[in-house]
Amino acid sequence: MYSNDIEDLLKKNKIEIGDKIRIEKNNDEFIGTLLPRPDIGDKNTILIKLENGYNIGIAYAKDIKIEKISNIHSTFSFPKAEIKESKDLPKVTLIGTGGTIQSRIDYLTGGVYMLTKPEELLYEIPEISNIANLNIIDLMNIASEDMTYKEWLKIAKAVKEAFDSGARGIVITHGTDTMHFTSAALSFLIQNPKGPVVITGAQRSGDRPSSDAFLNLIGSLYIAANSDIGEVGICMHATSSDEKCNFIRGTKVRKMHTSRRDAFKPINNRPIALVDSKGNIEYKSRYRKIDNSEMKLFEKFEPNIALIYFHPNMDPSIIDYYVEKGYKGIVIAGSGLGHVAVSPSNNSYSWIPHIKNAINNGLIVCVTSQCLYGRVHSKVYRNLRLISETGVTYCEDMLPEVAYVKLGFLLGNYNTENAKALLNKNIVGEITDRSEFDW
Amino acid sequence: MRSQIEASLIGDYMEYKELGFKCGLEIHQRLATAEKLFCSCNAIQDKGDEIGNVSRFLKPVAGELGKLDFATRFEAEKKNKFIYNIYRNSTCLVDIDEEPPHEINTEALRFALKVAKALHAKIPDEIWVMRKEVVDGSDPTGFQRTMLIGYNGYIIINGKKVTIDGIYLEEEASGIVEKGDGYIIYDPSRLGIPLVEIDTAPVLLNPQEAKEAALKIGLILRLLGVAQRGIGSIRQDVNVSISNGARVEIKGFQEVAKMDKIIENEVSRQLALISIMKLLKERNARIDKVFDITDLLINTNSKIIKKGIENKGVVLALKLINFKGILGFDIGKIRFGTDVSAYAKIAGVNGIIHSDEDLSSYGFSNEEINKIREKMHLNENDSFLLVVAPKEKAERAIELAKYRIELAFNEVPKETRAADNELFITRFMRPLPGGSRMYPETDVAPISAKDIDIEYIDIDELIAKIKSEIMNDQIAEQLLWSRLLPLYLELRNSTKIKPNELAILLTNKENELNRDKKSIEDMPMDTLIYLFDLYSKEEITRRALEYIIDKMPMSKEDVDNIIKNFKLHRIKGDELKELIEKYKASKNIIEDIMKDYRLNIDPNELRQLIK
Repeated sequence: MYSNDIEDLLKKNKIEIGDKIRIEKNNDEFIGTLLPRPDIGDKNTILIKLENGYNIGIAYAKDIKIEKISNIHSTFSFPKAEIKESKDLPKVTLIGTGGTIQSRIDYLTGGVYMLTKPEELLYEIPEISNIANLNIIDLMNIASEDMTYKEWLKIAKAVKEAFDSGARGIVITHGTDTMHFTSAALSFLIQNPKGPVVITGAQRSGDRPSSDAFLNLIGSLYIAANSDIGEVGICMHATSSDEKCNFIRGTKVRKMHTSRRDAFKPINNRPIALVDSKGNIEYKSRYRKIDNSEMKLFEKFEPNIALIYFHPNMDPSIIDYYVEKGYKGIVIAGSGLGHVAVSPSNNSYSWIPHIKNAINNGLIVCVTSQCLYGRVHSKVYRNLRLISETGVTYCEDMLPEVAYVKLGFLLGNYNTENAKALLNKNIVGEITDRSEFDW
Repeated sequence: MRSQIEASLIGDYMEYKELGFKCGLEIHQRLATAEKLFCSCNAIQDKGDEIGNVSRFLKPVAGELGKLDFATRFEAEKKNKFIYNIYRNSTCLVDIDEEPPHEINTEALRFALKVAKALHAKIPDEIWVMRKEVVDGSDPTGFQRTMLIGYNGYIIINGKKVTIDGIYLEEEASGIVEKGDGYIIYDPSRLGIPLVEIDTAPVLLNPQEAKEAALKIGLILRLLGVAQRGIGSIRQDVNVSISNGARVEIKGFQEVAKMDKIIENEVSRQLALISIMKLLKERNARIDKVFDITDLLINTNSKIIKKGIENKGVVLALKLINFKGILGFDIGKIRFGTDVSAYAKIAGVNGIIHSDEDLSSYGFSNEEINKIREKMHLNENDSFLLVVAPKEKAERAIELAKYRIELAFNEVPKETRAADNELFITRFMRPLPGGSRMYPETDVAPISAKDIDIEYIDIDELIAKIKSEIMNDQIAEQLLWSRLLPLYLELRNSTKIKPNELAILLTNKENELNRDKKSIEDMPMDTLIYLFDLYSKEEITRRALEYIIDKMPMSKEDVDNIIKNFKLHRIKGDELKELIEKYKASKNIIEDIMKDYRLNIDPNELRQLIK
């Protein structure tokens, strides 16, 4: 929105956003398209796109003159994308959920908006219709930071339905920030999937010529269409080059960089496979192959789980807060092998009584490591033993976020006793028995 | 010299006016900032070790109206893989599009606005950073960041006011290291260095005036002390058109001095294309079918064809009715066929062969030529062109050649062309980009220019001051128009050396060094300041100073070592008096001392002490 002065001036001259206008100020003349006022910058400045394509702002002044030349609205619309029916290609369902991969710049406002239709991706990457016989589902359109367990359940259901209606593989487009939460959730919610479930996204939006979306989507489709992997995973750039993508197990993956295209790394694992733009798939580690075992969909999730990041000077009464709030479980991302403060100089900062209180109140408390790489241990140091005596569960080499998702999944679908028993047992590859050298 | 130019101006003026000649300049100058425009990489030369590389592909994306810009698509057709070498000091994640841009470099912004002010331009109240789509790989992002920072300025040339339409601050592109089949290797060290672009209105009346304007803008940039030194730090592009011709942007002039000649030849080329347009219509010329003539040439002696067929190629020929002489039509040192060939090359072929050429020079026999003409049913006035390449490439090459020939019927195409600095002509690079490749850079906030305090420098006053302090008009003129001007200004401001002495020393020494293909500018600024400062503090003599320059020291340490190793410290005052004592017996005392201590003693001081 513009300032009142400018809004009045526009109204008086019957000018609307998108009109071609002439502005006169201090003997200078500007001709261009009137743009809406973005949130940033000075509201009392008129923003126009000049005929040479440049945008400039012209500050309001009492003697400013403005007139409409024409109302040729230059609005942005994608040309219709053609989806080629290719019956002999493998059937793949593409489920759109939103995120950068589905966002585009709004040329008029300069803001980034979400594509309303995932089909629009096809316009920019026509080669994808040569990889698979695509069925596109426009499931939702939200940024990944806005995702909740409700969306996870919804996506899981859509995946099940897609398999049931004949898809041999699934590709889910997703925002990258919490993509590894969703991949973990889907890993637990859809067990024994009938085919590859590939989650992908982009670190650079598709309106940029160098977007990583193109290769990520192509690689994901190849995995979904041609691989024999019966698991949920994330498929994104393996390096900063547009050469190969990693397909990484959904419970062993984490976003490790804010902006690089190779932000997703396998943790305590190797990638399952590498895939290039021509569809060559190179398998790198063991995985569950597609078999005839029954696919199982879980439809519940317990959201009252807290993930607490331990740090020096931290007041552990935060745990009491969660107990009072009625939480059902707490995941601690401890330091090193799984520590929290046990005997600090300020005695009230010992975590032991607070953890005991939580457990006595029926909460499941478990410990992971903020090192991310490696395995927690309950015996190495005296402090560790003191912590473990409280009854917490040590989560082996599970990532804090994965433990968080797993606990919500377990408490949603099992009773407390069973949930606790399953927490440090491997279900879908989230815990490994051996730690290999090159992870 | 000046009056000569004016005389020729008047002579040519009428002629160019009749042609509807329109010419404008785009001057690009790299700014002498410490860091790049949108990151903290080193913008000076020290790029550090190569630490790796990344390879990328760029995809043209739909522009503002959902359309792909024609030039952008054209570039993308080449489907090149781009490899970027990464250097420790000069390349960061922002450069290779792995991190969003940082806030704008305020030093660069102040420099650019200083230029705008000196050119009497107005500054927009709010400056918006834009992305200009460029998919030739020179920008790993696929776009160049650019912003309009000034408008409606002017310069005066021979008493005439030339409007400066726009002044832009933008990012420099990467330099090409190697170009191969399907790939280009880039060095992104200079990528992102701030550039200021100055565009004049298309009001320059003839090539001579264009050259003068380019020189004048170059002078202003050097005087403002914002220009990066060194060859390649300034580039001049020229927009030229004539009535019934088209706007053509010429890039890559090596010397401003030769600019007018190249512009003249571009005008001739456009005139020739207009003649071709008329001829094609008069003769009712037409483009006909494509023939596969591979089977006629299986056993040819033509090396090009033979090799092409051996590499799984086919020979495709395009029939051109009533085209005799058109492809061979002289469009100014090159034939029209050369321009057609340049389009075909986009498909990745080596070029075209056409019937207006001496086909025997390619190794075709008369029998083969007759067979080709027979198979294609060519009449006396018909022509053909052919390409040899693998089928898909050959078909695309023919399509592109056809596209260029189709244009010839109706227009002079709008193109970006490269200056050929040997033949003084222009050569096709790509179609001229349209407006649909500009969109806002959403990662950077708009800049409110009101808050920035910019110093105004009166260029004419500054020139007058420089002339008066140098006290020698000839040397002053020489210095003003030379690349050394910023160096002069810097040394004048940071040392106590007298302006006239400095000017003479710099110009003479540079002439001397140039003979050995060297330049004072090859030495780092801090080294030069240190060296000239030693001289102005009388720690070395003028002769020693020149002696050290000849050795081209690259650091302060180098200077100290040269002084130490060659015993160049100045002998003066009491030390000199003692020395004179030792030579008391000598008959020609001055000559004898100078013979032994030529580099250590200032002869004036010596003469005064001897008196």
